[in-house]
Amino acid sequence: MLEIKDLHVNVFGKEILKGLNLKVPPGEVHAIMGPNGAGKSTTSYTLAGRAGYEVTKGEIDFFGEDVTGLAPEERAARGIFLAFQYPLEIPGVSTMNFLKTAMNSQAKIRGEKELNAAEFLRAVRAAAKELNISEDMLKRPLNVGFSGGEKKRNETLQMALLKPKLAILDEMDSGLDIDALKLVAEGVNKLRSPDRSFLVITHYQRLLDYIVPDVIHILAGGKIVMSGDKSLAVQLEQNGYDAVIAKAA
Amino acid sequence: MTGSLSDTLLATMEQRRGAIAPWLGELQGQAQELFRREGLPSRRIEAWRYSDLARALREDRVADATPVSAPELPGAALAAFVNGALDDKASSYGKVGAVNLRTALGEKNSPLASIIGKVYPQAGHPIVNLNTALLEEGLALRVPAGKKLDLPLHLRFLWTGAASDGRHLRLLIELEEGAEATIYETHDGAPSFATIVTEFSLAKGSRLTHIRQESLAAGARQAAVTLGEIAEQATYHAFYFTQGAHFARHEALIKLAGEGAHAELDGATMVADSRHADNTTVMEHAAPNATSNQVFRAVLAGSARGVYQGCVKVAQAAQKTDARQLSRALLLSHKAEIVTKPELEIFADDVKCSHGATAGELDANALFFLRARGIPEAQARALLIEAFFGEALDKIDNEVLRESVSLSVHNWLSTHAGEASHVE
Repeated sequence: MLEIKDLHVNVFGKEILKGLNLKVPPGEVHAIMGPNGAGKSTTSYTLAGRAGYEVTKGEIDFFGEDVTGLAPEERAARGIFLAFQYPLEIPGVSTMNFLKTAMNSQAKIRGEKELNAAEFLRAVRAAAKELNISEDMLKRPLNVGFSGGEKKRNETLQMALLKPKLAILDEMDSGLDIDALKLVAEGVNKLRSPDRSFLVITHYQRLLDYIVPDVIHILAGGKIVMSGDKSLAVQLEQNGYDAVIAKAA
Repeated sequence: MTGSLSDTLLATMEQRRGAIAPWLGELQGQAQELFRREGLPSRRIEAWRYSDLARALREDRVADATPVSAPELPGAALAAFVNGALDDKASSYGKVGAVNLRTALGEKNSPLASIIGKVYPQAGHPIVNLNTALLEEGLALRVPAGKKLDLPLHLRFLWTGAASDGRHLRLLIELEEGAEATIYETHDGAPSFATIVTEFSLAKGSRLTHIRQESLAAGARQAAVTLGEIAEQATYHAFYFTQGAHFARHEALIKLAGEGAHAELDGATMVADSRHADNTTVMEHAAPNATSNQVFRAVLAGSARGVYQGCVKVAQAAQKTDARQLSRALLLSHKAEIVTKPELEIFADDVKCSHGATAGELDANALFFLRARGIPEAQARALLIEAFFGEALDKIDNEVLRESVSLSVHNWLSTHAGEASHVE
């Protein structure tokens, strides 16, 4: 489904990713762990197509199509979803209006029929209920005045409605206490399915106790240096990145 | 002086003196003398430094397509000005008790005659003078004490090209104690040079809502001035929308004359191409405990220029004044320009006055976030710009008017939101 081949990425003229290789089959949850500065955020922004993240070499194949030249909205419509580390507050745009615009834009890009008002409301209410999101939150401007946990739940709601094929969770646990983290992880786990893959990007092992990955990759110096099952996270927790990476090299 | 144009204007003033009402001849004569001395305002005068009218009137104008008239609003009283002439057949302003200016000024002792030339110190104002000297048409509205007009009064100004070489119109509005009214102006087309001066007087506890929707064509040259006095506990709530033009300037010169008076001014400027839009305000706090709040927002594309000059004056007697002003600009192009000039003149010691100005591009993070959710770039930009104006639009109580202004915002965005001179 997702296959990243020898990816090199420059940010502000500096090479951050230096030959990243990664394969995520359908339905699997893969985690990318790595020390600060390893290129974790660069990986997620590059996958989502952010301007300024310049691919100088390599490919990002998504269902056999190289998406490196596509705009962010085109990637989104193909099923790539980035859950932001720090979801943006957008005053003046209600959550409802935003959700509707996003869903209909994606449908339009894919050449599908847009939802009518009633279908949309039904879909939002059902998904919101599942994630414990109140009607009041939906009416408020997007993420304005939301707590860290509410913002992340809102991201999960967007994921539930947009039904991506690949969800990239960028440091999902940032700014969350343990209760909020459990709630968000629970929401994410409900969305796991055989035709949806997850790429969980995190610095700490903690998140992986709640969203359990099939494979863990260690990113250091702009490439994957080691892959393994979930026991790798425990090794990292006990010995630290330096020791594990040194062993890998 | 601009030579021939000024001479032509002076000759016209000579003809017009006393034409609308003989008793007005004296006032017009004084105005004419001032014009003879001062001429058309140019950059040599500080208040006109960024909007040089004399020069704009010398420049060639772009040709415009036939303008589309603003639609007649359901449930409004209409005053239809076509090329500056009040079209009585098409109008229904009588429904709210408005009268033709000629009728209102007929005699020196007619009630509204006491207002003209009297609202706010206006002596020496170049546009007011010129307008007074050339006065030929207009409308007057007087709302009796305690009466709340259900219908908004729609002043529809349409300039259709060939015949629109310029008119000078005056509006007089008087709200008696506790009265309420809503004035809605639409401006379409391309006058070669029009001036519109509005004088309003709000008595104790009255409330005037004033919405200007200026959608002039690119070749239009218009200078408008709103002069107002607000008595105790009275409120003026204004929303000024403009798309600019070859030359488009609106000045609001407002005096908070009574204790507890309030003025709320929201500006929404959307300019593209090489258009020019100037919002100039003078807010004079003359009485204690009065409040004023001004937020002027502007979105500028192409090589357009926006100007906001906001002067707040607080008299010594005006203790406990609360005066705020804010200018916020979004620049969609590196060639677009916003000039913001706040001025404060404070003579009282127990006051709260604030002013601020921001200018920047659309937030790149917000834009990426929306696009990463599948919203195409132009639409994402439009969404953020609509949100930028949203707070001001929400304050317009009348739903039909709010929709109408929102539509103008929306239409502008459908053409210009995608414009950006660079990629992030």
